[in-house]
Amino acid sequence: MITMLAQGYVVSLLVFSLTLLGSIPLGIVVAHGRLSRFAPIRLITQLYISIIRGTPLMLQMFAVFFMPFYVFGIKTGAGFKFIACIIAFIINYTAYFAEIYRSGIQSMPKGQYEAAQVLGYSRSQTFFRIILPQVIKRILPAMGNEIITLVKDTSLAFSVGVAEMFTESKALVASQRTMVPFMIAAAIYWVTCLLIEFCLSRAEKKLGYYHD
Amino acid sequence: MTNASALPAVSVRNARKSFGDKVVLHDVSLQIMPGEVVSMIGPSGAGKSTLLRCMTLLDRFDSATFSYGDLVVCSPNEQGHAVYSPEGTQESHNRFGIVFQNYNLFPHFTVMQNITDAPIVVQGRSRDEVEAEARELLERVDLTEHANKVPCELSGGQQQRVAIARALAMNPDVIYFDEATSALDPKLTADMQRIIRELASNGMAVGIVTHEMGFAKLVSDRIAFLFDGEIAEEGPAEQVIDHPRDPRTQRFLSQAED
Repeated sequence: MITMLAQGYVVSLLVFSLTLLGSIPLGIVVAHGRLSRFAPIRLITQLYISIIRGTPLMLQMFAVFFMPFYVFGIKTGAGFKFIACIIAFIINYTAYFAEIYRSGIQSMPKGQYEAAQVLGYSRSQTFFRIILPQVIKRILPAMGNEIITLVKDTSLAFSVGVAEMFTESKALVASQRTMVPFMIAAAIYWVTCLLIEFCLSRAEKKLGYYHD
Repeated sequence: MTNASALPAVSVRNARKSFGDKVVLHDVSLQIMPGEVVSMIGPSGAGKSTLLRCMTLLDRFDSATFSYGDLVVCSPNEQGHAVYSPEGTQESHNRFGIVFQNYNLFPHFTVMQNITDAPIVVQGRSRDEVEAEARELLERVDLTEHANKVPCELSGGQQQRVAIARALAMNPDVIYFDEATSALDPKLTADMQRIIRELASNGMAVGIVTHEMGFAKLVSDRIAFLFDGEIAEEGPAEQVIDHPRDPRTQRFLSQAED
């Protein structure tokens, strides 16, 4: 039982980290699209964010999973369910992260941009050296919320048949006629979140060396 | 062109700027020579801030002949519209520095990083050289023991001196002060006067935007009085403050006296 749950946990962690790896940087790109001076880009990103936030993640996962076959007539192999699941998670979390970045970027005082401009920083130097480090401090609590939600959302991968921890625990409950696998899985989710909360509060403390 | 020493550190000629229908600058010309302190005074809405924003390239003139020393930043085309040269715009950031009214220090950087980051990252100079220079600057503005603090640990006056050091670290020819003394007590104001005079005696051109006539008179060589987007009067500091010739200057100064 423990080995099955452990194997599932590894898959859950994989979904979790691949999603963050994709959506944290992509969120910055989409946030810039959302703040673009070019109206079509702004509208497209706005529509994307609105649709993603307005529809269920599970539905999005099925859409990605079935799209190759129903739209393009391509038969996908067994490995595709994992890929589809990661793609759907990244598309989904990018939208939420983009909105958090956007609010953080917009909360920055104009004077920081002006000081950087006068000192001759290029636009990308200004963003990566001056703006982004301060934005990270401002959005850390909101990002923390999303990241903790993601830990539990990984269980939705069950719906497309990815054998993550929840899928495994459900199978164990059915075959062994006991609630114990669920309780162990719940404990593991909780401890994972505790660990993340600990990391987040350490990061917040580390960034607490200044205020503006 | 005559020899380089006769060249103003910054020169703006026939500058115009409007926001929509509202004309904010109407044929303004202003030069600051190396070693000269020039204050721009005048009532709110006279165009001082817009002039300063355009001179620091945070905004653009609609029309002007504008240069830093021998570096042409913009000149008018046949229709009279200002054409900015990309090289002039880029290079101008090495020619001037500004101390903002609320300093705009980078809060996540230490005092040292605030001063050294742009010379290292933008000007591409070596860290050792820039840091050695920064330590000298910190000594000049009396902040040596605060080098590793972050701005929020400093008082307003100290933050302002960090902002001065940050501007000077770029080795500019011109330094601007936006409302240099509005937040300072009399002692700090006197310190500021000393710092500005010291800069000028080392050949720096200094441009100041201020509301404070007393300070302007003490620190400036020359004062330009702006009114409704025009320079109503310009001359030696004592003359403009004590014996103004233009009726608008006279009226403004008599109101400012109480």
